Amino acid sequence: MTAKLLVVDDEPRTAELTAEILRRAGYMVDVASSGTEALERVRVGTPDLMLLDYEMPDMEAPEVLDSLRSGGDRVPFPVIILTGARHAPADQVVGIERGATDFIVKGTDRQVMLARVRGALRERSPVSGAVVRGRLQVNASRGEARLGVRQLKLERRPLVMLQLLASRSGEVVPRAELLDRVWGSSYQGFEHSLEQAVHQIRRELREQGWIETVRGIGYRLVIQA
Amino acid sequence: MGLDTGSSSRPELAAALHRLRSTLARAKAELELAHTDGESPPPDRLLSDLREALQLLGQVEAIALSIVPVLVLDDDERLGELTARSLRRLGYDAESGSRLRALRRGEIVVLDLGMTANLDGANRAALRTARPIVVTGSADPQSRAVADDLGATDYLVKPVEIDDLVAAISRRAALNR
Repeated sequence: MTAKLLVVDDEPRTAELTAEILRRAGYMVDVASSGTEALERVRVGTPDLMLLDYEMPDMEAPEVLDSLRSGGDRVPFPVIILTGARHAPADQVVGIERGATDFIVKGTDRQVMLARVRGALRERSPVSGAVVRGRLQVNASRGEARLGVRQLKLERRPLVMLQLLASRSGEVVPRAELLDRVWGSSYQGFEHSLEQAVHQIRRELREQGWIETVRGIGYRLVIQA
Repeated sequence: MGLDTGSSSRPELAAALHRLRSTLARAKAELELAHTDGESPPPDRLLSDLREALQLLGQVEAIALSIVPVLVLDDDERLGELTARSLRRLGYDAESGSRLRALRRGEIVVLDLGMTANLDGANRAALRTARPIVVTGSADPQSRAVADDLGATDYLVKPVEIDDLVAAISRRAALNR
């Protein structure tokens, strides 16, 4: 499926040129010219990714991100901040707290921009709401998981990981993506924690076959009758 | 922070600004001539001038705003990019790669020790000059020796929290000042 992108920039030429580069790379691209318009667009239909100008007359990127989260833990889709000004580190810490996925400085080569868009799109499926796969039910935001009627006792990270695997059942979820989405901003080297989480999930499920290890790549959830 | 860059970087700032102005002036002259003659300007030259101008602007910003460029080297490109992205979200100008490239001014190298297995002499020498921060999966004496040989300023054993990496980057950046 072609990913739908929303480019938000108050400067029309910048917005249109960014959109054109993305269209040529095969994406479906919509353009919004203000923060307010961006929020209206999202209400009508959620994009797979938003490229958001940092400084716009009506609102700055952190405000847009706050509205997008609307009280939730995270923005329901990846947002890449496009910025003209180089911000002091403190400003970008705000970015991560409010859920921006990545930053691109304007004028960055388009190959780099496209690579970062691809990277952020890998995070498309949100870890929110309830996921039901056969007898397995996971709702990480409520802190609950059940297999049939039996409650699974899982710590937060294994629970989020189980939800992510379940939401993409049948598909191999790469280790790198699990590390990024479940362990967040932590630096690499959490491979061991990943294995421990898988161990805990398997132990709690008490049944073979649900979580498959795909060596060198990642893990796959396979629904068991 | 801000424009207080210390006296040591002032000549560098002036040099970068000077080159930025010359590059932009060249591009403008090229366009003006083409405009007068009613001809289309040469896109290749203008494009390369603009790329150079943006690169110079990056140098100016790095000096004036104390932005730290970082190169994360990892043979697993996706892991390297994840680290680079985490650093970008913290305000670093971070890129990732699976091979060494020409370093930007003041660029700090974060090196996964897995990379060193297939390094040629030239790359090894370049890394020694860079004095990288080394990240390794195991704390065995052999890895330690490789890190020492490369003149590593920090030696981090996985799992590494981003805060610890940031601290190592700050220590390394202090050596440049």
